[in-house]
Amino acid sequence: MSLWDFNILVEHWDQFMAGLRQTILASLLGLIGSLVLGTFIAILRIAPFRILKAIGTIYVEFIRNIPLLVVVFFFFLGLPTLGIPVDPFTSGTLGLMVYTASFIAEAIRAGIQAVPSGQSEAARSSGLSYIQTMRYIIMPQAIKIVLPAIGNQLINLVKNSSVLGVIAGLDLMYYADLINLSTFKGIPVYTFVALFYLLLTVPLSLAVHYMERRFARSN
Amino acid sequence: MNRRGFLLIEFSCVNKFFGTFHVLKEINLTITQGEVVVIVGPSGSGKSTLLRCINRLEGITDGELVVNGVQLHNRKIDINAFRRNIGMVFQHFNLYPHKKVIDNIILAPMKVLGMTKAEATEKAMTYLQRVGIADKADSYPSQLSGGQQQRVAIARGLTMNPKIMLFDEPTSALDPEMIGEVLDVMRSLAHQGMTMAVVTHEMGFAREAADRIVFMDEGRIIEDAPASDFFQQPREERARAFLSRLLHH
Repeated sequence: MSLWDFNILVEHWDQFMAGLRQTILASLLGLIGSLVLGTFIAILRIAPFRILKAIGTIYVEFIRNIPLLVVVFFFFLGLPTLGIPVDPFTSGTLGLMVYTASFIAEAIRAGIQAVPSGQSEAARSSGLSYIQTMRYIIMPQAIKIVLPAIGNQLINLVKNSSVLGVIAGLDLMYYADLINLSTFKGIPVYTFVALFYLLLTVPLSLAVHYMERRFARSN
Repeated sequence: MNRRGFLLIEFSCVNKFFGTFHVLKEINLTITQGEVVVIVGPSGSGKSTLLRCINRLEGITDGELVVNGVQLHNRKIDINAFRRNIGMVFQHFNLYPHKKVIDNIILAPMKVLGMTKAEATEKAMTYLQRVGIADKADSYPSQLSGGQQQRVAIARGLTMNPKIMLFDEPTSALDPEMIGEVLDVMRSLAHQGMTMAVVTHEMGFAREAADRIVFMDEGRIIEDAPASDFFQQPREERARAFLSRLLHH
């Protein structure tokens, strides 16, 4: 059985494309959602109020210490039990978003805390509010610091979207399993799947490097 | 230099703890408008903490502290409105590294005082000229020497039109050849009647520019005297020992 059995690709092109489309969609939604949610959780974690801090800490410690698959099953099986009907794609993407957000929150928190305390002292002593200080002084510096770590998390997110395959989320992995079961040509099937993931992750990786260089120059 | 105006800063029986550590003990201190007060003392004596209480970068534990008519021991005050009147210059400059010099200076005037960009820029340029580095307006802080950065920090404080300027060891992080240019700016500010509270080890500056010297040790104010008296004959043994160490090292 050869690595490069292009017949597999040609015969199942539509399925590969349908899967790729869902993988891209899950990744994009997950990426936006986990960045927004992650930033929000990070701000909770460093907020000057004990209750907010506790909520942020519980979220991070709870979510990032259980397997992604379990988080996804929680949405996939749990939400319908609560009377909220969700399709596999939605519950998988939600799980992915919530899971990745815990890692992004940690990266952003570390970045914010890596900005020297003198920065916020200077800003606050000039009369800027806490929120203005975050927005104009702390966040722009923290983003430069956390960009590599966030890049890693986003690449992980794209690859982790393959968890959708387990719950029939109609993504690349799901169709790969389907094609494998009907053809028994697993090696070429998963080789092409690997290439499709590379097609998504390599440009993402290059984009992160490009932004790192751009940010580094502006300093 | 007797330009006694009204009371701008008044500590009454102020105590401050960091956990169980008693940093400031029974502090009584007044500073009137136009006064230049230099706070000296060995490291760890609480002088920086005392200064940082004046704009509430540090809160006090008990006692009363009134600055520019605002009761800082009262938690319900609008702290941001209060702070716009108090400029602060730090040991490590604390310029914003991601912003150009001019943008460092105009941020607070625009966001806090609501000036337009044009107004803020014009004002910022006046002060940059006064501290002698108008040509660096479009540079980033990292392109400036330490002395230049500290002068930008002073201009940044002055552009807010503060009633009081606080200086926390403004020359301690500078190479020796740059100390003079920063002290010159501070000296001219003192001559123009700015109310200043300065923590420093620069005794030359203290002798020339200060109206009063406050000597602290172990969290207490040991001596509070006119500058000339303090340098000619300090009353307290600890102040004498401190001075002789500093002047004859």
